[in-house]
Amino acid sequence: MQAAGTAKDMKKLLGGESTPWLIVLAGFSFLPLVLGPYWLNSAILGLFYVMMASSWNLLAGFTGQVSFAHAAFAGIGCYTSGILSAKLGLHPLLGLPLGVALAALLSLCLGALCIKMGGIYLSLTTLAFSEIVHIVIQNEYQITRGTMGLKVPFIVGPYSKVTAFYIMLVAAAGIVWLVRWIINADMGLRFRAVLNDETAAQSLGVPVMRVRLTAFVISGAMAGLAGSLYGHYLTLITPHIPSLDMMFHVLAMAVIGGLGTLAGPIVGAFLLEVLSEFVRQFSDKYHVLVFACVALVFARFAPQGLVGLAVDWWKKAMSGGRSA
Amino acid sequence: MEDLLLYLTNGVFMGATYALVALGVTLIVGIMGVVNFAHGELYVLAGYFSALFAQAMGLDPLSSMLVAVVLVFFFGLVIERTLIRPTYGEEMYSLIITFILYIILQNAYLVIFGPYPNKPPNWVSGASNLFGLFYYGNQRLASFAAAAAVITVFMVVMHKTWLGRVIRSVAMDREMASILGVNTERVNMLSFGLGCVLAACAGVILTPVFPVTPTVGVGISLTAFVVMILGGLGSFTGCIVGGLLLGIVENLGVGYVSSGYKHVFGFVILILVLFFRPTGLFGQKQL
Amino acid sequence: MSLLDVKTISKHFGGVQAINRVSFSVRSGEILGMIGPNGAGKTTLFNLITGAVPPDGGEISFQGGDITGLKPHQTCRKGISRTYQVTRPFGKMTCMENVCVALMENRPDLKGAARRQKAEELLGMTSLAGKEEWLAASLNLIDKKRLELARALGANPKLILLDEVLGGLNSMEMETALELIKSIRDRYEITVVWIEHIMGAIMTVCDRVIVLDQGALICQGSPEEVCRDPLVIRAYLGEQRDA
Repeated sequence: MQAAGTAKDMKKLLGGESTPWLIVLAGFSFLPLVLGPYWLNSAILGLFYVMMASSWNLLAGFTGQVSFAHAAFAGIGCYTSGILSAKLGLHPLLGLPLGVALAALLSLCLGALCIKMGGIYLSLTTLAFSEIVHIVIQNEYQITRGTMGLKVPFIVGPYSKVTAFYIMLVAAAGIVWLVRWIINADMGLRFRAVLNDETAAQSLGVPVMRVRLTAFVISGAMAGLAGSLYGHYLTLITPHIPSLDMMFHVLAMAVIGGLGTLAGPIVGAFLLEVLSEFVRQFSDKYHVLVFACVALVFARFAPQGLVGLAVDWWKKAMSGGRSA
Repeated sequence: MEDLLLYLTNGVFMGATYALVALGVTLIVGIMGVVNFAHGELYVLAGYFSALFAQAMGLDPLSSMLVAVVLVFFFGLVIERTLIRPTYGEEMYSLIITFILYIILQNAYLVIFGPYPNKPPNWVSGASNLFGLFYYGNQRLASFAAAAAVITVFMVVMHKTWLGRVIRSVAMDREMASILGVNTERVNMLSFGLGCVLAACAGVILTPVFPVTPTVGVGISLTAFVVMILGGLGSFTGCIVGGLLLGIVENLGVGYVSSGYKHVFGFVILILVLFFRPTGLFGQKQL
Repeated sequence: MSLLDVKTISKHFGGVQAINRVSFSVRSGEILGMIGPNGAGKTTLFNLITGAVPPDGGEISFQGGDITGLKPHQTCRKGISRTYQVTRPFGKMTCMENVCVALMENRPDLKGAARRQKAEELLGMTSLAGKEEWLAASLNLIDKKRLELARALGANPKLILLDEVLGGLNSMEMETALELIKSIRDRYEITVVWIEHIMGAIMTVCDRVIVLDQGALICQGSPEEVCRDPLVIRAYLGEQRDA
C-alpha cells in the first residue's frame, strides 16, 4: 500500500478528525425517516456488514492475520444468544453479552492455537475452525434446527425495522469508534508495527504474541456482537451466518473498501450491500459472481481499496508533492 | 471384519485421491509459498471438461481426460501469470486472491454448468469380489489404479528427472538456484501448472465415481490442505502417507462414529497436527 | 565491570553447529568489535543474545541478571537493542512512527508531545531531520540504516548490537557513521557491540575485538593484538578484505 506519502495522508486513512464522522452518524440517524422497509432492511444489513468488515479489518488489515474464522464467530454469538432465548427463554439483550463472551473466549483459544504460526498456517487453521463450527451447527439438528433455521425472538420489544436500525446503528458506531480509538492510540502503533515487521517489532520491545492475541479476541468479540444482533433482527437464524460464503462477503467488502484503513470497510460494506440489491433485482444468480470479480480486480490492482484510491487521487489533485 | 475391510478399502481408495490432490498443493506451496485456495475448483473444472467432452462431443474416456487436463494446465498458467506472479512475496494478498478466485470459479460453475451433478461415463462397469468378502465397483478400482499410476509417475519425475531436480532445487534454495542459472520465474510458472495438472488428473480420475457439482471444490481444497500439513510441508512422501492415513481415518470414522461429521475428522487432525507437530509427519521445511 | 556475560553458548541448526561453546564478556562503556569470515556465526550470536533464537546450551547474563531464554521483547525491555544487517524498517509507517514504537515500549515516561520531541531528537542525531513524516519505505538505503539506528536508540538501550552498519556507505558517510557510533558511547553512555567487515573502522573505533570463525571464538584482545594473531590471519586467508 504505497498510497500515502506523508503523515497527513496516513491520518486521513486512519480516521482523521472527528467532525466528518459525527456528521455521517447524524445523517444516518435520519435514514428511517426517508427509507421504506425494503431499503431500511438493506441499511440494517449494511450496518451488520460494517461491524463485521471493520472488525475483520482490525485483524487482517492492521495486524496482518488473515483469519477465515470471522463469520464463524458471528455465528457463535448468533447461535449462543439465539439458542438461549429460543430454548431457555432468556431475553435477547441478556443473551447478547453471553454470545459475545463465548465468541471472545473461543477467539482467545483459536488465537492462542495460531499464535506460533505464520500467515499460511494461521489462515488454514482458522479455515478449519470455521468449517468445524459450520458442520457442528448444521448437524446438531436437535439444538440448532440445522438448515431449517431456528426461530428466535426479536431484539427487544415488538418487531420493528426502525428499532432494529437504531440499535444496529448504535452498535456499529460503537464498534467503529472503538476500532478508531485502538488504531490511533498506542495499541494501534503496536498493531501496525506487528503488521509491518514482526521480527523488528519484537526486537524493539513490542510483545508481538500478546498483540496478535489481543487483536484476535477483540475482533472475535465484535463479530460475536454483530452476529447476535443480526440473528435477533432476522428472527430466523441459519448456518448461513457461520459460512465461508458469509466470510467471503466480509472479506470482499474490506478488500474493496480498503484494508488497513478505517473508512474502507464502512465504504465497502455499504457500497456492496447497495450494489448487491441492485444486481439482485436483475438476477439472483450472478450477484456473488459480480462481487467476486470486482473484489478480485481490487485485490490484484488496487489493494489499497476505494478509500486508498480516493486518498491517492486527492493527493494528486492537491499537488505534485512528495510521493512514496 | 467384513465391515472393517470395506472401510479400509474405501479409505485406501479415497486416500490415494487425497494424496494426488495434496501433491499438487504441496508443489505450489513448496515452490512459491502460495496456498492455492482455488485448487479444488481446478479439480472440478477438469471433471466438468471430461464430462462435457465425453457427452457433448462423444470422445472416448481417455481423450476427454487428456484434453481436460491439458486445458486446465493452460488455465493454470494464465492464473499464475495474471494473479499469482504479481503478488509473489505478499503472502496476505496471494491468500486473499486465491480465496476470491475460489468463490469466482464456484459461482461461475453454477452459472455455466448448472447445479446438477455431472459425470463422464464409466470406463469400466461391474464390480469385483474383493478378499472374497464383498463386491467393490470396478470403476473405483480402475480409478484407484489410475491415481496410483499418476502418483508414481509424478514421484519419478520429481526425483529422477532433470525437470524434477530443477524444481526441487528452487524449492530448497531459490536464491542459489537462481545464481546457478535457473530461470526461477519459469520454474514458478511450470510448477503452478504442474500442480494444476495434478488437481486436474484427480478430477478426471474421480469424476466417474463421484460426479462433480459446483460446490465440491472447497471440500477438496480443504482436504488437500489437511493432508499437506499432516504429511509435512514440502514432503511429497508425506502427502502420500498423509493422504492414505486421512482416507483411512475418515472412513473408519464414518463407518463407526458418524457420517455427518466426516469432514470434521480431517479438520480436527489438522488442528492437532498444527498444535503438537507443526512440521507434520515428514516435514522438513518451515514456511 | 561486565555488562554482558556470555558463557559457553551453543546453537546448532539441523546438522550444523552454528555456535560452539562461545564465551566472552562485554565491559560496560566499551565498543567491542566482532569480526570473522562470512558464516562464522556473528549474526547468530546476536540472535542468541537478544533471544530471537534460543540457545541449546550455556548462559547469558546481563547486568548481573540471567537473560538466557528470554524473548526479544523482554531483552529489549531490559536494555539490549539491535540493528539488522538488512534493514527492517516499518515500511508503511513514518520515520517518526518508527522511532515512536521503540520509545513507546521502552520510555513509558514519555507520552504524546514529549515522545514526539524525543523522536525528533533521535532522528536529528542520525541526520534524518526533515524526513520525520516520510514513509520508511520511501527512504534510500543509507537513510534506512540511519532510521534503523535511530529506532534502536529509541529503545533506550544500555547495550546496542550493531550488525554491519557500514555496508554500502561511501567514505564520507562512513566518517559520519563512525563519529555517530563513538558519540553513542561517549554522549549516551551506551555500550556497543559491533559486527563489521571493514577493518579500518574496527581498528580506529573499537576498544577490543573478538574474532569468530566457524562458530568458535578464536581470539580476543585489542585491535592490534587481534590483527597479528596467526589464527585470525589463517581464518581470513583467501578472503578479500576491505581495510
